[in-house]
Amino acid sequence: MATRTLSIKKRGLNFETFMWAFTRFTVIAMYGLILLGILGGLRLSMMTGVNFGNIMYWAFFPNMVPVPLGQVWMNIVVRLMVIAFVLVACGHGVHGVLEIWDDYVTNESARRWARNIVITYAILASIVAVYVILTA
Amino acid sequence: MGLKRNVSLSTALGYKGQGPYLTFILHRIGGSALFILFTVYILSLLGVRSMHALMSNWLFQVVFLVFALFHAINGLRITILDLFPKLIEHFRIAINIEWVVYILVAGFALFVVLRTAFGG
Repeated sequence: MATRTLSIKKRGLNFETFMWAFTRFTVIAMYGLILLGILGGLRLSMMTGVNFGNIMYWAFFPNMVPVPLGQVWMNIVVRLMVIAFVLVACGHGVHGVLEIWDDYVTNESARRWARNIVITYAILASIVAVYVILTA
Repeated sequence: MGLKRNVSLSTALGYKGQGPYLTFILHRIGGSALFILFTVYILSLLGVRSMHALMSNWLFQVVFLVFALFHAINGLRITILDLFPKLIEHFRIAINIEWVVYILVAGFALFVVLRTAFGG
């Protein structure tokens, strides 16, 4: 099978091409953050003696359990990483959900409504997540 | 076309794409499952106890892991093939490798979740 590759110049940088690239780059960022999160969590576990699972649990549910890490900088780094992950995952998911929706629903109005609802939902959910993680 | 298509899932899976089509459709199901998980997570962060209890439920974790891990591993294959187009010629081999990795990772994850849930 012959491979077909087109340069950005020939393909043209339209909305679809941009979102395709955005989805690829966000997923690479997510893999990077997952790897960094696991390695960072293991290092914090080694430094503080706190169970790795407890660090991960607190990182994603800071409003559910007391802060297990003693030093302030650790708390800030972990929170920033989780916020970055949630935002990147949200951006990646928005395009994915809309792509599935657009494939199965051809009505223009339904597509437009879905786009507005999903993007609004993603923005609100991101704001809630960032607020809770920062203030817990 | 869209809503008027009359091809069932079983017929679609028999389409000549077969293995690749199966990964395509599982990737979509996995993505949708992750979207639901994201919603449960946000509600959990908001303090909705039932959502937090749902996330702690072993059955929810099993379903989530089965689909989420497939989505992640299949996404990695797609990304690698997209970034290195010359590898597309070997996409069937890539899918076979993906299944082996998925079975190993998902098997380990399920073992841990079920062992924790039922003790032992």
